[in-house]
Amino acid sequence: MSFEDWYRQDRLPHIFCAGCGNGTIINCTLAAIEQMAWKKEETVFVSGIGCSSRAPGYIAADSLHTTHGRAIAFATGVKLANPELNVVVFTGDGDLAAIGGNHFIHGCRRNIDITVICMNNQIYGMTGGQGSPTTPLGCFSSTTPFGCAEAPFDLCELAIAAGANYVSRWTSYHVKELEKAVYAGLQTPGFSFIEALVQCPTAFGRRNKFKQVGDQVDYLRTHSMLKAKHDRLLEQGEHIPPDMFVVGELVRRNRPVPGVKI
Amino acid sequence: MKLAIDETRCKGCNLCTKVCPYKIFKEGKKANRRGIIIPELDRPERCTNCRLMHLYGRTLCGVCQLTCPDQAIHWVEEQPYEPHKVAIEY
Ligand SMILES: Cc1ncc(C[n+]2csc(CCOP(=O)(O)OP(=O)(O)O)c2C)c(N)n1
Ligand code: SF4
Ligand code: SF4
Ligand code: SF4
Ligand SMILES: [Mg+2]
Repeated sequence: MSFEDWYRQDRLPHIFCAGCGNGTIINCTLAAIEQMAWKKEETVFVSGIGCSSRAPGYIAADSLHTTHGRAIAFATGVKLANPELNVVVFTGDGDLAAIGGNHFIHGCRRNIDITVICMNNQIYGMTGGQGSPTTPLGCFSSTTPFGCAEAPFDLCELAIAAGANYVSRWTSYHVKELEKAVYAGLQTPGFSFIEALVQCPTAFGRRNKFKQVGDQVDYLRTHSMLKAKHDRLLEQGEHIPPDMFVVGELVRRNRPVPGVKI
Repeated sequence: MKLAIDETRCKGCNLCTKVCPYKIFKEGKKANRRGIIIPELDRPERCTNCRLMHLYGRTLCGVCQLTCPDQAIHWVEEQPYEPHKVAIEY
């Protein structure tokens, strides 16, 4: 079997715009799930609202497409009601960190045994490109026409501080690394959070001088810095450009997990 | 095995042209019936996966397939004795 067999073939092609990174992240997640050898009947996908949150609708397993921001709350309910189920959440940056911010930090704090994959396109894609809590400083959106003036959230730092057992960040360019990270997250008991930075050519790229789909992917590739290198530069007291972001496995630990013996 | 792009799914984003180490995918030139410019394949028989998938019993490389946001890249069985262009690489 390959990851393609997890797709609902009758629902494809999906509605994402040409070049939207969401499809890539679903591929990598399903490839990791395929490696886990989970059965479809034992796996549930949960999401909120947004382009990214449409993901479970294309997967041939049980799914909950819930209200905006509440995916983690619903997923917590599913897992507690039947701990035998494998629960995976797909969410967007707006869904997770804006309206759903509270559920996110408390999900991490409780350390529920679920895996959350956030497709962070740094914008509200579905509603036409409003700024989100992760829109970088100076970037343009329909609500930040003069460039975003507010500092963005670092979602991974947030998850680490709140207590998640596994945290890593990759981009839609790093497909193999992302697949491995999701696989590690699925294996780790407790709350696993994987942030995947993705291109959104329609709402973000168009306003931020990324003329071609590939331009934004190139930006993600050239502005990601491996954690090991980042740590080394920090140690040596060297300058790290502010527009670089860290990629790699950021945390893997063994905090107690409700309902799971470690 | 033979590399193929599913024309009913491809949206012409050209991401595949960026990721293949052999540069097998080239930007297409002509729009198809749906107005989408599908990438062209340059000697696809060079793809690692086409040659070794059956031998190893798993997908090798497969980066283009994981990257394609529209699930349009796959491998199909070849007809017996399909003619091949022979490519020698140094
Ligand atoms: C309670 C509620 N408030 C607002 C909305 C409108 N809304 C729909 S999607 C969305 C933002 C989604 O952004 P994100 O989670 O980043 O997803 P993306 O589309 O970028 O993948 C908003 C505000 C809604 N559907 N429900
Ligand atoms: S608006 Fe952006 S996130 Fe939504 S489908 Fe289009 S490219 Fe993807
Ligand atoms: S990545 Fe997929 S959708 Fe994009 S051009 Fe290549 S085959 Fe088509
Ligand atoms: S599997 Fe690898 S070598 Fe083969 S076409 Fe795709 S990217 Fe190129
Ligand atoms: Mg978003």
